[in-house]
Amino acid sequence: MSAPLLSVRGLSARFRAGGREVTAVDDVSFDVGEGEVLGLVGESGSGKSVTLRSLLRLLPSGAQVEGEALWEGNDLVAMPDAQLRRVRGGAISMIFQEPMTALNPVLPIRVQIEESLRAHTALDRSGRRARARELLDLVGIPDAARRLDEYPHQFSGGMRQRAMIAIALASEPRLLLADEPTTALDVTIQDQILKLILDLKDRLGMSVVLVTHDLGVVAETCDRMAVMYAGRIAEQGGVREVFATPRHAYTLGLLGSVPRAGTERSTLRSIEGTPPGLAAIPPGCAFHPRCAFATDVCREVRPELSPWEPGHLAACHHGDRVAHASLAA
Amino acid sequence: MTDAAHLEAAIAAERPRRARPPGPLLWGGAILLLSLVFAAVPSLVAPYDPLAFDYNAVLQAPTLAHPFGTDNFGRDVLSRVIHAYRIDMGIAVFATTVPFVLGTLVGAVVGYAGGLAETIFGRVVDAVITFPFLVLVIAIVSVLGPGLINMYIAVSLVGWVFYARIVASEVKVQKRLDYAEAGRAMGYTHTRIVLRHLLPNAITPAIVYWMTDMALAILLGSSLGYLGLGAQPPAAEWGVQIAEGKNFMTTAWWISVFPGAAIIVTGLGFSLLGDGLAALLRVRR
Repeated sequence: MSAPLLSVRGLSARFRAGGREVTAVDDVSFDVGEGEVLGLVGESGSGKSVTLRSLLRLLPSGAQVEGEALWEGNDLVAMPDAQLRRVRGGAISMIFQEPMTALNPVLPIRVQIEESLRAHTALDRSGRRARARELLDLVGIPDAARRLDEYPHQFSGGMRQRAMIAIALASEPRLLLADEPTTALDVTIQDQILKLILDLKDRLGMSVVLVTHDLGVVAETCDRMAVMYAGRIAEQGGVREVFATPRHAYTLGLLGSVPRAGTERSTLRSIEGTPPGLAAIPPGCAFHPRCAFATDVCREVRPELSPWEPGHLAACHHGDRVAHASLAA
Repeated sequence: MTDAAHLEAAIAAERPRRARPPGPLLWGGAILLLSLVFAAVPSLVAPYDPLAFDYNAVLQAPTLAHPFGTDNFGRDVLSRVIHAYRIDMGIAVFATTVPFVLGTLVGAVVGYAGGLAETIFGRVVDAVITFPFLVLVIAIVSVLGPGLINMYIAVSLVGWVFYARIVASEVKVQKRLDYAEAGRAMGYTHTRIVLRHLLPNAITPAIVYWMTDMALAILLGSSLGYLGLGAQPPAAEWGVQIAEGKNFMTTAWWISVFPGAAIIVTGLGFSLLGDGLAALLRVRR
């Protein structure tokens, strides 16, 4: 792999909540290569969205972010505000989970697209008008010329997400951060939006970081994946390798809880228990209270994220046993 | 009923009901339009010079020649009431517009910034609302000296707080919504997010309050005129006129009653307009 586009090293995010400090993201490292789709997977509260937001420093004030996120040799975490604003929505764009609320309700779609163009391109007025129409065409909104002057409430959920994507693409970003872009949509629309994102990625040569809790989406769309648990990366690697032989008990559990079409009917296994609250992360491996493989070492020593094969890392003391179990299943 | 008819009836019932024909808006608008005409060209409407003494017609009861009667100097009360529109509508507009603009901007900044700014602002609000509005304004006017200009200054010094409080709380709600965060993710500046995105979504309650406040401002302006702290005699101003007539209440009630009626009608106009706007703007949400 050539030099990564974005290189995140030791990223941590801490909040003050109720007088106590909680760590929402704990020492997370990953790379995003040119033209690559990276999936960040995990349950609610596993820190995947916070990770994404801390890359652009979009966390509420009071959050402390440490570590570095190298973008073209510059550290996003330490960058001055003015410089960061040019990156935000410029080279790195973001789309959100809730297309219903992520658009400004009182401004027509045209104004919102043109605003992004004004902030990040040198186009003049008429250039912006023309480009706004092209963008709406590009994201597959029929009758774009007419719909430009409509307000968000006149758009359906899927349409709004398309409009949101059009706004995000206005600056021709090189990296798209997508925070559960399809979670709030109907299943059929989900598929269309994912296809659209992949298609645009190829046509515009972007990279994508896709945050999701849906393993099906990951299997369909991502090149590589990182599984997060309790603010830490449990396992990361190529989607094919991770799905074939998970090396972390949590990943195995996640995969076991997803129905697979075309295989023999078997019981769906759920992972016992609930994810730990951020204020009470267990010592050692954060997953050990829910883990069938746990031994004494898991309760005491926090496992390092270490390679099992090139590009496939897992933070599990019993990666071999997990891999065996997955092959046996 | 056929299935199709059932369906149509159900759809009709589900269709978002349009706001009722905005009666308050129309009435309020009509009253204020008339008031604006009086304020703009009083001398075209009024039958007499409001300041001209006529010692041949002192303290006359309403007649055809003087529909509202005359006062103790023989001035035509109707003409004085009409000319007073200029001052009192002026008070309604100027004494509220400065607080509206100032308060909205401060409120937007405070609501968006939060933290220390919000804490300090909270203390200022506490300090201001501890005093009754009128008492505070009278205190400031008595320091600055009586007169219209000083009254505007006093009202502006106090009034912005109420607008700021309304806008700040709305902006606080709006800034947590996704589109505000999306704005930050798009790399927009704070100024742009506040003015372009948050304020248009947060300003409706302040506009409605603004209309209501105009009615209150007229009351305030005439109260101060009555007390001798606002417009000064012999200027035609409703509060001044009521004060002039108070010694003749039992013998020449019309000197005070007609300016009082003008206050009520104009205040009603602003209130109706405010109510109408509130209903109209709420539909959009």
